[in-house]
Amino acid sequence: MIITLITAALLAVMGAYCVVAKKNLLKKLIGLGIFTNFIHLMFISMGYLEGGIAPIITPENILSFPVRAVDPIPQALVLTSIVVQLSVTALALSVTILAYRHFKTLDTDKMRDLRD
Amino acid sequence: MIEYAIIALLAGAFLTPVFKRSCVPLAAILFSFLVMASVFMQGQTVIMKFSGWSPPFGIVWVVDSFNALMGLLVTGMAMLVAIYSTKYIRERRSRFFTLLCLMTAGLLGVTLTGDVFNMYVFFEILSIACYGLVAFNTDKEAIEGALKYIVLGPLASSFILLGIAMLYGLTGTLNMADIATKIQPDITFNMAFGFLIGGLALKSAIVPFHFWLPDVYPVAPSPISAMLSSVVAGTGMYIVMRILFTIFGFSGVMWMFVAFGVLTMILGGLIAIVQTNVKRMIAYSTISQNGYIFLAFGLGTNLGVAAAIFHLVNNIIVKSLLFLAVGIIIWHTGKKDMRELGGLGKQLPLVMVCFGIGALSIIGLPPLNGFVSKWMIYSATWEISPVLTAIAVIVSAMTLIYYIKAFASVFLGRSKCEIRERTPLVMLLPVIILAAVCVFLGVFPQAAIGAVESAAAALLNQSQYITAVLGGG
Repeated sequence: MIITLITAALLAVMGAYCVVAKKNLLKKLIGLGIFTNFIHLMFISMGYLEGGIAPIITPENILSFPVRAVDPIPQALVLTSIVVQLSVTALALSVTILAYRHFKTLDTDKMRDLRD
Repeated sequence: MIEYAIIALLAGAFLTPVFKRSCVPLAAILFSFLVMASVFMQGQTVIMKFSGWSPPFGIVWVVDSFNALMGLLVTGMAMLVAIYSTKYIRERRSRFFTLLCLMTAGLLGVTLTGDVFNMYVFFEILSIACYGLVAFNTDKEAIEGALKYIVLGPLASSFILLGIAMLYGLTGTLNMADIATKIQPDITFNMAFGFLIGGLALKSAIVPFHFWLPDVYPVAPSPISAMLSSVVAGTGMYIVMRILFTIFGFSGVMWMFVAFGVLTMILGGLIAIVQTNVKRMIAYSTISQNGYIFLAFGLGTNLGVAAAIFHLVNNIIVKSLLFLAVGIIIWHTGKKDMRELGGLGKQLPLVMVCFGIGALSIIGLPPLNGFVSKWMIYSATWEISPVLTAIAVIVSAMTLIYYIKAFASVFLGRSKCEIRERTPLVMLLPVIILAAVCVFLGVFPQAAIGAVESAAAALLNQSQYITAVLGGG
């Protein structure tokens, strides 16, 4: 558990650094992906159970079900969130392509100069 | 019954590119408007359980008088904007309407839902449609604005998701009413609250996070600027209020919100004065008005919340009116800069009158609707501290300065552009309707105050909400 949390914290720092400090637009978008994955990792680790089983009741597991079944909600939510992130990233990349056609660069500072 | 409103909008979004006719999205949006109007007229709390699972297990939609009011405004504005866009948007019209339907579906879902994760999903549908619509013109300006939006928007959404994840980890539920029963005054809950409010403040451009809005809202096509500046910003305010009062059940003066509201008001107003781009100026004015709303509900009193909701309603109506009126000017001349426009009053008298009504209303002059809500804000702040009232009046004076400047340089003076075409009736009609609503609500404020006060009462009565959803438990 503690290793998961440390990894999540590292991902958060890396992602936030990428979004804020990197000049290249693609790197910013990668940073955004890393930052979202930190939340996914944290969220999914909430539902983690050592030796857990799928939350489906069968005649065999009816006694051990209450203690061993994992909470399915975080997994469902993270799946939804991954889909959302995928579509946002796809849209962001297509806008990036358009930006490259206009500005002939992906450097955000140079883009600002070119507009004025 | 309310689920059909969303189904119609989503179906409209998917059928528009198939049939490539403007009547498909118009019919979808009109249908959802009629559904929301009937829900609003009934005036009862509606609970919609998906697939029959009763809360807190399934997803529920809870429509009380505040939601119903917001839903009515959202679909009403979407309808006017859709009618307007049939002539304003000249190319790639079916793509535009697809995105507009998705945006309305997202807005409506966010306003109606009683489940925090469901709210997040609809918020993302809304955001993705917004990113697409801001970039719709695909010129240099639009792409740069869209890029700014598309990097900051997901960052804000991640903070909201983080807050939701923390709330789920602490309470084990996603239902708003069920979370509300399990809240404790505790540092971890406050952290979750901070992440949620931080993300939403970034999305709705409250002062430390206001820098992106003026680059984003004005570059979209004018009808979309109208939607963004009115209902999208308004929905952000709605969620903040919902989280604050329904989930966390705050009461009393919240100085943090008052302080941010005051800062937002002043800064938005000051920067708006020096703008020369008309759309950019109205965008800064939106920031300033959002500050008023933050200040008013930060007071936490019944009158304050009612004033905030009324100002929210007025801001939605007036900002749509102003952006749509400016859109007609841009449609004719292709220019946004005040210095290049001038003397349009003789050529577009109706647009001038409507823009004037909108400007006077947002300044807060009687007998228009903005006066009533600003008066409510003044009297609500007077009960807490007269200093806040003084600041609110001074910011109103600043509003007066920049709207008079815009009005004079666009409509008065020497004529600099010539208008050859006649304004299409479908573009003029929404503007006239909105201006008429402004005057009507100003002359007969009782018509709106009843709805606004019952919305404020529904919002502040947390236990009633919980009982309605969880059924006595």
